[in-house]
Amino acid sequence: MSDTKPYLDRWTGLALLLPMAALLAVFFVLPLARTIWQSVYEYGFTLRAYEMLLTSTLFWKVLQTTFAISFTATIVALLAGYPVALHLSRLPPSRRMPYLVMVMLPFWTSILVKSFALIVLLGYDGIINNALSFISGQDIHIPMVFNRVGAILGMTNYLLPFMILSILSSLLTQDVNLGRAAEVMGASRFTIFRRITLPLSMPGVLAGVLISFTLSIGMYITPALLGGRQDMMMANLIDFYTRQTLDWPLASAIAVVLLFVSGVLVAMLGKVRGSAGMREMSR
Amino acid sequence: MQPLIKDMIRVTALTRTYGSFKALDAVDLSVAPGEFVTLLGPSGSGKSTLLNLISGMTEPTAGKIEINGKDATNQPTNQRGLGMVFQNYALMPHMTVFENVAFPLRVRKMPKSEIETRVRDVLRLIQLDHVADRKPKQLSGGQQQRISLARCIVYRPSIILMDEPLGALDKKLREDMQLEIKRLHAELGITMIYVTHDQEEALAMSDRIVLMRKGRIEQQGKPEDLYFRPDTLFTADFLGSSNLLKGKINSTARSLDTAYGTFPLPTARSDEPISGEAVLMIRPESMRLVSDKASAPGAGLEATVRDSIVLGSFVRHFLELPGGKRMIVQEPSGASISRPARGSTVRIGWDLDDARLLPTDPDFQNV
Repeated sequence: MSDTKPYLDRWTGLALLLPMAALLAVFFVLPLARTIWQSVYEYGFTLRAYEMLLTSTLFWKVLQTTFAISFTATIVALLAGYPVALHLSRLPPSRRMPYLVMVMLPFWTSILVKSFALIVLLGYDGIINNALSFISGQDIHIPMVFNRVGAILGMTNYLLPFMILSILSSLLTQDVNLGRAAEVMGASRFTIFRRITLPLSMPGVLAGVLISFTLSIGMYITPALLGGRQDMMMANLIDFYTRQTLDWPLASAIAVVLLFVSGVLVAMLGKVRGSAGMREMSR
Repeated sequence: MQPLIKDMIRVTALTRTYGSFKALDAVDLSVAPGEFVTLLGPSGSGKSTLLNLISGMTEPTAGKIEINGKDATNQPTNQRGLGMVFQNYALMPHMTVFENVAFPLRVRKMPKSEIETRVRDVLRLIQLDHVADRKPKQLSGGQQQRISLARCIVYRPSIILMDEPLGALDKKLREDMQLEIKRLHAELGITMIYVTHDQEEALAMSDRIVLMRKGRIEQQGKPEDLYFRPDTLFTADFLGSSNLLKGKINSTARSLDTAYGTFPLPTARSDEPISGEAVLMIRPESMRLVSDKASAPGAGLEATVRDSIVLGSFVRHFLELPGGKRMIVQEPSGASISRPARGSTVRIGWDLDDARLLPTDPDFQNV
């Protein structure tokens, strides 16, 4: 197809990109450059902020918490999302639509609203605890918010659509005849899942995991509202240095570290998506 | 005493409906061990539905399926002991050719050494042992379909179902594969049920053709039976080309009065229409050009030559009757062939019993 003329010539293409590029330059690249600059410049070039970070117990603890919470939330989203995606992939398209809308619904809801809704649901006198008390006749107050469980539940709730859609898209590219062929050959449903469906859906699983993890490590509102005092994440730490101690170089340095980690993850994601295996399977 | 030849497959009054649509309408069919049966028909005729019902991937609305003498109507697909070949090969893209062929054996928990021997043997049988370590996508379409055949043969099912297996291949490759499948069928003696909409393929490969139409069996028999002795207009039309003359039966004179003249009827059969409207069907190769009316074995129908073309071993004359009806006559060719000039008038003749008297059909109004 190399001899076909491109739909847009070079200059038209560039002209069309200009408004978006200008917007991003002013409101994204410039502040980002300033943040990076701020992390290394205080009355002259210095690595003080990074030195402080690397020697700070708080930073390492928060980094550890961030990874632990993000990892757990991602795994929970994977375990909860895979069966949903699998079920959706087996529905006829007309019946899949309403369920897909239900999966997408949280996408269209503000994360702040969702977090408060979860407090109403999971709180000390929340709907779930009240219902359990009513059923058992005892006073039940399972602590489900303002602790690690709350943070993870809130984040999983946010991550599920991303996870489900990634896995679903990979499941839908699978040839239905593969399962049929295996069934005729005598394979049980479990064997078909283990030997065919699951391995062929791995690109989707990996993409879902990477997206979820990348989104998780930058989360701010959900852990702040639903987590406990011990569950401070990187974004909350940045907020702390920006607004409480007013140490902007340090806040900037944390932002740069966070950006770097996310960047590495996004690069890995691109690799998974662009890999030959993925292309081959989604032919 | 037990009958010597038990049916490999027997379906009785098998029906499948989708809402008010009858995809398969009370079909009875028996297949003998080692037989090569082709389900032929246009799309929507029920041939794939019948195959899917036999495989167990579709549940019947009513009726009974017996496989190898046992009731299999409600048996799960994976316990029916069948093999199946799909049009798009259905090879596992993440497994090597070897692993694909080994898959049904691993499902059967066969010892490793036996899997190795069996897979190597069957790959040698289809002459693809050199690609064992490649992924299916690295092979050509024909090679992939041979691998998917090998994956069936390797666990020695007594029946192999094929759903338009050559539909995705080009003509040359398709002919090679037809021979390959026939060879494997002859060598292994496996019962095969083959679905296709390609009449040439059905004629070339089958012991028996089951022609389907609107969820029912229209006619079944040997290829030559269906081709030369069709019972209906649908059969005559679906297999090959035919010349059709519609008219009214004159039973005392045993002739058919048509708009193009009166023609004598072939020797009577028990199942032919005996009065009213009927259609006389003559295959192009059963017709020939004759010099004068007196020697015409058929009727000596007069026609104008529109075109006459040489197709190697035979010549095809495209003729037009007065009133515009078109006829095709096909004759063997040879070095001394002389073609009639375009626009000239010729006479058509045929042997009386090469014609076939068929009942009219509401789907074939414009005969």
